[in-house]
Amino acid sequence: MNFVLEALQYIADPANFVGPNGIGERLGLHLAYTGLSMAIALLIALPLGLYIGHTGRGRNAVIAITSAARALPTFGLVLFVILFTGLGLWPLVFVLVVLAVPPVLAGIYSGLESIDRATIDAARATGMSEWQILTRVEIPLGLPLIIGGIRSGTLQVIATATIAGYIALGGLGRFLIEGLALRNYELTIVGAILVIALALAIDGLLAITQKLVVPRGVSRGSARPTRTTARQQKLRVSTREG
Amino acid sequence: MFTFSRGRAAAGVVALGLVASLAACSSGDPLSSGESGAPDDVTALTIGSQGFAESDILAQIYGQVLAANGYDIDYAEGIGSRETFIPALQDGSIDLIPDYAGNLLYGADPDATATSLDDIVAALPAALEPLDLSALDPAEATDSDALVVTPEFAAANNLTTIGDLAPLSASITLGANTEFEARWRDGLASTYGFEGFQFKAIDDYGGPGTLSDLLANNIQVADIYTTTPSIKQNNLVVLEDDKNLFAAQNVVPVLNTAFVTDELTELLNSVSAELTTDDLLDLNEQSAGDDKPSAAQVAEGWLTEKGFLD
Repeated sequence: MNFVLEALQYIADPANFVGPNGIGERLGLHLAYTGLSMAIALLIALPLGLYIGHTGRGRNAVIAITSAARALPTFGLVLFVILFTGLGLWPLVFVLVVLAVPPVLAGIYSGLESIDRATIDAARATGMSEWQILTRVEIPLGLPLIIGGIRSGTLQVIATATIAGYIALGGLGRFLIEGLALRNYELTIVGAILVIALALAIDGLLAITQKLVVPRGVSRGSARPTRTTARQQKLRVSTREG
Repeated sequence: MFTFSRGRAAAGVVALGLVASLAACSSGDPLSSGESGAPDDVTALTIGSQGFAESDILAQIYGQVLAANGYDIDYAEGIGSRETFIPALQDGSIDLIPDYAGNLLYGADPDATATSLDDIVAALPAALEPLDLSALDPAEATDSDALVVTPEFAAANNLTTIGDLAPLSASITLGANTEFEARWRDGLASTYGFEGFQFKAIDDYGGPGTLSDLLANNIQVADIYTTTPSIKQNNLVVLEDDKNLFAAQNVVPVLNTAFVTDELTELLNSVSAELTTDDLLDLNEQSAGDDKPSAAQVAEGWLTEKGFLD
């Protein structure tokens, strides 16, 4: 308990926020690594996921590949990449992208897949082009799951970006590493608290975004009853209430 | 027909558990001769290792020599760090383990300050005695912190010792594990006048990240352990620690005092006497080689070469 109190005091002390290796700088770096990795992950996963979700093509291959990618140990992978590239920003970003793409991709194609085929057929019957079906029917209806995937990917990246500290890139992981190396466990808790707080804050922001961008009434008729997940049901209840 | 009642299933599970734990006992009990650390039979030993390749090889080197001389040897690889293996030596789970002189001393006596090999060897018996442990003679082979530079950087700046870095301090970035800075920055300043350098924390224990940064001149000095194969592979120059700042980490077998006999001491000391840092480098390199030989194979090769095995 003492450790936690000391850690909170450390965080509350403005002197620890500024300067090189201060909380501010490390938080900023951590956010930058997260943002950059998520941006690249979205660039890859969005088109791919929408294509798979819309056409149903290549679904099995992509599911197999991304499920396998989820099993890669990120820390091992970053050390492996460094063997070839040397230290630098890109090995870190690469492994974080590898980490983030599977959940985002899964969110997108399952979001599109969960839509009742009858709705899409109806859209097609009214004369909508494939592009219109995608942008006006599938994406809006799939949004809850799509954003859910992005949220889950972001959380994983925030938590895992702590490995930047091992490879001379700073970030909030430094508090964890320094605390362990110097047996200053208060510092380790500082790192843990900050990472948790950052993850909760960003997830909160994304939850609000989700509320704002998902059109009202999306849950109605969006999903085939047989394919609903617990998460969708929860979302449906919450949108209905809201 | 056969019905499977809940009670019977539970009994089956319990029985399975018993069998499993019995099996674990029979294979896992490393000391057939008693639990107290006072053996009936000093010719049956369990040799531990610390869970990294070099330690496994050293355990095999000492173990195979003993086995060839009529001892009954068991191995318990990957015991872990000093916090784990010192109690294990005391309670008889293992009887002997290869360790490193400086760290062994600091583990046994946290207040110890000795850094040169002679001082460490002089301090060890008193530090180990209360633990009922004994250290045999240290080998010449040492696996300690070492400041290394590229051959080009050494030639351009005429570097041979750590002290030679002092005039260059301002332009140097030193890469090492996080704890290096807290542990050694003051000592480097007071012992060698090497101060004011930039520090870059690269937490891979002198591994590929540190090496690539050194070769790319992002850091000019790196802390790489003396038996790391990359030193030899890249012709890196190890700066001489002529004032003994870094603790000597010579290989030293440590064992439960109850097992110390003249015969065993003489046998293992004769092995340690042959073991040099270059040998350790070679052994590590072999073990990291493409064909991934086992620690036992690597150890056997060295022992045969040195004439300890036929």
